[in-house]
Amino acid sequence: MKKLNKGLFVALTITAIGYYMAGCKKEAYRLETTGDVNIVGYLEKYPDSFSLFKQILDRTETSAFLNAYGTYTCFAPTNSGVRNYLKIIGADSVGSADINVLKEMVKYHLLGDTISTGNFTDGKLPLPTMLGQYLITGVANKDGVSRYIINRQSWIYQSNIKTGNGIIHEISEVLIPPSKTLAQALESKPDYSIFVQAMKETGYYDTVNTVNPDPAKRWYTVLAEPNKALADSGINSYADLKKKYSQTGNPKDPKDSLHMYMAYHILDGLKYLADIITASAHQTLLPQEVVSSKLENQRVLINDDVFNNVYEPGVELIREISDNSSTNGVWHSSSGHFMVKFRKPQAVYWDVSSFDEIMKLPAYYKRQNYRFVKANELDWPIKDIDWHYNSASTTMTYSYSTSSSITRYMYNWDANILPMGLPARAAWWEFKTPVIVKGRYKVWICYRTQRQSTSSQCICNVRINGELMQRPFAFTDFIPAGTDAEREAIGWKRYIENTTDGNFASRLVGTVDIQTTQRHVLRIEAITGTQNTNNLDMIHFIPVDQNQVLPRFAPDGTKVWQ
Amino acid sequence: MYQNIKYVLIVACFASVAAGCSKWMDLKPQNGIIKDEFWKTKEQVNAAVTGMYASMMGGTTTTDITVERPLPELFFLWGEARADMISPTSRAISEEIDLTTLNILSSNRITNWRYVYQTINYCNTVIDLAPDVLKTDATFTQAQLNQALSQALGIRALLYFYLVRSFNAVPLKLHATVSDQDLTALKKTSSDTILTQVVKDLKRADSLAPLTFGSDAIDKGRITKYAVESILADVYLWMDKYNECIGECEKVIASGRFGLVAGDAGWFDKLYYNGNSAEHIFALQFDAQKLNSFYFMHATTGRRWTAAPHLMEDVFGLDVVNYPPKVDIRGDGGSLRAGDLTIWKYVGANSNNSLRSAEQSYAQWIFYRFADIVMMKAEALNELNKPLEAWEQVKLIRNRAGAFDFKGLPDSTNKTSMQNFILEERQREFAFEGKRWYDVLRVAKRNNYQRLDLLLTMATISVPPDKQQSALAKLRDKNSHYFPIYYYELQTNKLLEQNPFYK
Repeated sequence: MKKLNKGLFVALTITAIGYYMAGCKKEAYRLETTGDVNIVGYLEKYPDSFSLFKQILDRTETSAFLNAYGTYTCFAPTNSGVRNYLKIIGADSVGSADINVLKEMVKYHLLGDTISTGNFTDGKLPLPTMLGQYLITGVANKDGVSRYIINRQSWIYQSNIKTGNGIIHEISEVLIPPSKTLAQALESKPDYSIFVQAMKETGYYDTVNTVNPDPAKRWYTVLAEPNKALADSGINSYADLKKKYSQTGNPKDPKDSLHMYMAYHILDGLKYLADIITASAHQTLLPQEVVSSKLENQRVLINDDVFNNVYEPGVELIREISDNSSTNGVWHSSSGHFMVKFRKPQAVYWDVSSFDEIMKLPAYYKRQNYRFVKANELDWPIKDIDWHYNSASTTMTYSYSTSSSITRYMYNWDANILPMGLPARAAWWEFKTPVIVKGRYKVWICYRTQRQSTSSQCICNVRINGELMQRPFAFTDFIPAGTDAEREAIGWKRYIENTTDGNFASRLVGTVDIQTTQRHVLRIEAITGTQNTNNLDMIHFIPVDQNQVLPRFAPDGTKVWQ
Repeated sequence: MYQNIKYVLIVACFASVAAGCSKWMDLKPQNGIIKDEFWKTKEQVNAAVTGMYASMMGGTTTTDITVERPLPELFFLWGEARADMISPTSRAISEEIDLTTLNILSSNRITNWRYVYQTINYCNTVIDLAPDVLKTDATFTQAQLNQALSQALGIRALLYFYLVRSFNAVPLKLHATVSDQDLTALKKTSSDTILTQVVKDLKRADSLAPLTFGSDAIDKGRITKYAVESILADVYLWMDKYNECIGECEKVIASGRFGLVAGDAGWFDKLYYNGNSAEHIFALQFDAQKLNSFYFMHATTGRRWTAAPHLMEDVFGLDVVNYPPKVDIRGDGGSLRAGDLTIWKYVGANSNNSLRSAEQSYAQWIFYRFADIVMMKAEALNELNKPLEAWEQVKLIRNRAGAFDFKGLPDSTNKTSMQNFILEERQREFAFEGKRWYDVLRVAKRNNYQRLDLLLTMATISVPPDKQQSALAKLRDKNSHYFPIYYYELQTNKLLEQNPFYK
C-alpha cells in the first residue's frame, strides 16, 4: 500500500510539473486588429512588380505616410513602367533621378480618397491628384481585351486592390503630368495655327497661358478650331478671320467681334467631354453667352438646337482628338467653325401643356385627361415639370376637353392642373422654359380662373431662375372689366380669342432680364390660400418693346391679331 | 443476501446513469430533423420537392435586399438591368445603378450566386436521396419517384442555364451537400460542359416528367414535360442548335395544351394579374401567403425601378395619325404605365390604371409561356435561313397584341432584317420578363460575335452619357458580358478563379 502511494505521488508530481510547463508556454496573442497590409506593405509584398516604385516612394520620403492611417488611392506603376519612365527622364536608376521630378511624379499618382473603378467615368476623376491635376479615365479595347486606361497612357492591369489605408490600382506605365499650359499645348500643334494667332491677337493667349495658383480659379476649357475646320468655312488664314470678324480693327477691344469669337471659344472651368454632355449649356468667357451641348448617337454636339421651330445644325467636338489635358485646363477640337449667334429678343408664347411626356401618349394628348402621378418627392414623371410632393398634390392633371367650361377657349383646349397651397397641397410648381433669347421680357401667366369654393384663394409668386418677379398673381382672380389698354395699364390682358367668357385671364407678373440665351427655370410658389383648381394654360415672355396684348390665341392654336 | 443487495444496487446505479445519459449525451439536434430520420416516406419526398420551389421564391433567411434577394428579383436584375428596358430611380441602391452603367465590381452583391446554388443543392438532395425511399416506403411508387426526379432535374438544369448565361463558366455540382464531409472546393467547369450536362439532365427529365399533375394551377407551377421541353428549346437556341430547338418547340405546340391568350380586354388579367392561363407553361406561383418582392421594387414611394423613358416612342410605338390611335396592348397599360413609367406587369391590377395593393403582390414570375415557344421557333427558323416562315410565327404574336407598323416592317426575305425584327418583337412581347439581356447577348454572340453591334446599340440607349464611352469599350471585350464571381466566393473557395474581365 505504501509502495503504491509512493508511486502515485511520483506520478502526480510529474503530472503537476507537466501542467506547469505547459502553462509556461506563451500563447500567441494577435496584437494587431487586422492582418491587412497598408499600401506600402502591399507593394513590398510583390517586389517583382513594384520594387522600383517602392524605391521611388522611399527616396521621396513618401513611404512613411503611405503606410500610416488614411484613405488614399495609389496608381502603382509596375517595374517595367518605371524603367520606361526612367529612360524618358534620362536617369539610369531611381537613385540618380532628379528628386524633385520624382516627387512630382509620386504626387501625380496619389489621391486623397479611395476611388474605385466604380467611380470612373469617361472623363476626369471626381477629385484631383495630390499634384493638383486631374486624371482622366476611360476604357479601351486592345486585342479583344478591354481595360481601364488612365490619361490614355497607362493601362490598369489590376484594379481595386483593397489595403488597410486605401486602394491600389496597378498600372502599366508611369503617368506623366501635362507640362504645357493650354496656350502652349495649342501652339505646339501646327493644325491650330490660325486659332492660336487669333488667341494671341485678342489677348486670350495670356489668359490661358497662366496657371493660377488658386485651384478654384485655375481651369479653362478651350474649344479649339483646327485650320481645316476654318478652311471649310472659307477662312484660310488669320487675315481672313480678322477680315471677317474684326470690325473695329482692334481685336483686343472687347467690343470687337474677333475678340468675342475667341471669348466664345473658352469656357470657365475644367470640362471634359463627359462633363460637357452632362449639362445642356455652358457659360463662355463672352458675358451672357452660352454654348449648348448634347449627345447624339455618341457624338458630342454643340450649338445643335431647334430655335423657334427651326433646326440649326451645330458642330461636333471630335472625341478622338479632344479631352487633351493641360496644366491649366483641357482643350477640345471642333469639327467646324462656329460663332456666337446674335439674336434679337423674341416673344415666346409657351403652351405649358404640350410637353414631351403627354405628346408621347397619343390616346390622351389633345384627346382626353391624363393624370401624371409623382410617387414620391424624388420621383420625376415629367422631365421639364416638377412640383412639390405633398399629400394632396401627388398628381398633376393634363386636362383636355373642347366642351368643358374650363378648357373650351384654351389654347389647344388643354391645361395643366395642380392642387397648390400649403399645408396639404403643393408649395411650388416648377417648369423648364423653352429657349429664351437674352433680353428684357414681360412675363404673363395665362390661366382659367376658377375658385374651388366661393371663398377659395390661391395667390402665387413667380420666380425666374430664382429671381422673384415683381408681382404675385392668383389662380382665383378674375380679369377686371375694361378695354385692352385699360387692362394692360394695370397688368391684365385677354389672351384668348373669345371675347365673352370672362373666366380666362392673363396676368402680368413683372419684367425679367433674361441673361443668357438658353432654357430657364420658372417656378410658381403658392403664398396664400390653397385649392385644387389651378388651371394653367400658357406663359408668355414678350420683349418689353413689343405689343403685349396681341396676338391672342384661338383654341385650335392659331394666332389672332385683333 | 448482502452480496445480492450490493449487485442489485450496482446494477440499479448503472441503469439510472445510463438512463440519464440518453438525453444529454444525445448528439441529435432537438429542434430539427436529421437526414437519418428524413427521406423515409413519400410525404417527405414531396416536402423536399416543394422545398425546391419554395426556395426559389426567396426570403429563406430575410427580406433585406442587402442580404438576400429572392431568385425572381435576381433574374429580373440579371436579365434587365444591363439592358435597355429599365431605369433606376433615385431610390435604387448603388450596386443596382452600377449594373445599369456596366460598372460591375466583384463586391456587387447582385452577382452573388449563393441562393442559386442553395436551390441547386435542394435539387441535388432530391436526386440523390429520393430513390432510396422506394426501399422504406412501400406506397412510394416508381412513377412518383420519376415525378420528383424530373422536377429536380428540370429546375437544376434551368438554374445552371441561368448561371452559364450570366457567369459563363461556373462550378458544376451534381451531388448533394448533406454533411460536412461533402464540403469540397470546386473548380469552374466550362460553359460547354455545363450545357452538355444541362441537355443531358433535361432529356432525362423529359423522359420522366408527367404530362400533367391533374390541375391547371399545379401544372403551371411545376415542372411538367412541357416545361422541360421549353427550357430545352431555350438551351438549344443558346447553343445555336436550331433544328433541335424547333423540334422541342414543335413538341410543345403539338401537345395542344397551350395557346396564346386572346388580346382582348381580359388579356392583362389572364396573363399577368391572375396568371396560370392557357399561355403559361412554367411560372413561379406566388400567392397571398408568399408574396413577391416586386411591389417594393416597382410601386410605392420607394420604387427602385421604372421603365426606360424611350419605350413608348421607340419600342411600342405611338400612333399619331389615327383616332382612336392604334394601340399595341403590350405598351401603355400592359407592360408599363406610360404616365409615370411604372413597370406595370408586376404591380398593375388591371390595364386600367389600378395598382395592386401590397398584399396583392403575387404576380407570377413567368419562366416560359407559349409566346416564347412561338418566338423561339421563329428565331430558329430565321437562323436556318427561312425568314419568311419566321415572319409567319412573328405575325401570330403581333396580331394578338394589335402591334402596328410605326417604323417599318422587316424584309421577309432578308435574314438580318428579320433577326433584328425578331429581337425587337421579343423586346415588346417579353418586356420586363427578365429576358432582354440574354436575348440580345444570344444573338450578338452568334458566329463569333458577328452582331456585337446589338449590345453596343443597347448601351448607347441605356448607359448615362458620361459613362457611355467606357461602357462601349467594355462591351467590346466579350468577357465583360458575364458577371464577376462574388469576392466572398473567391475567398472561401481557393480553387475558383475570377472571370477574366474582372481580374
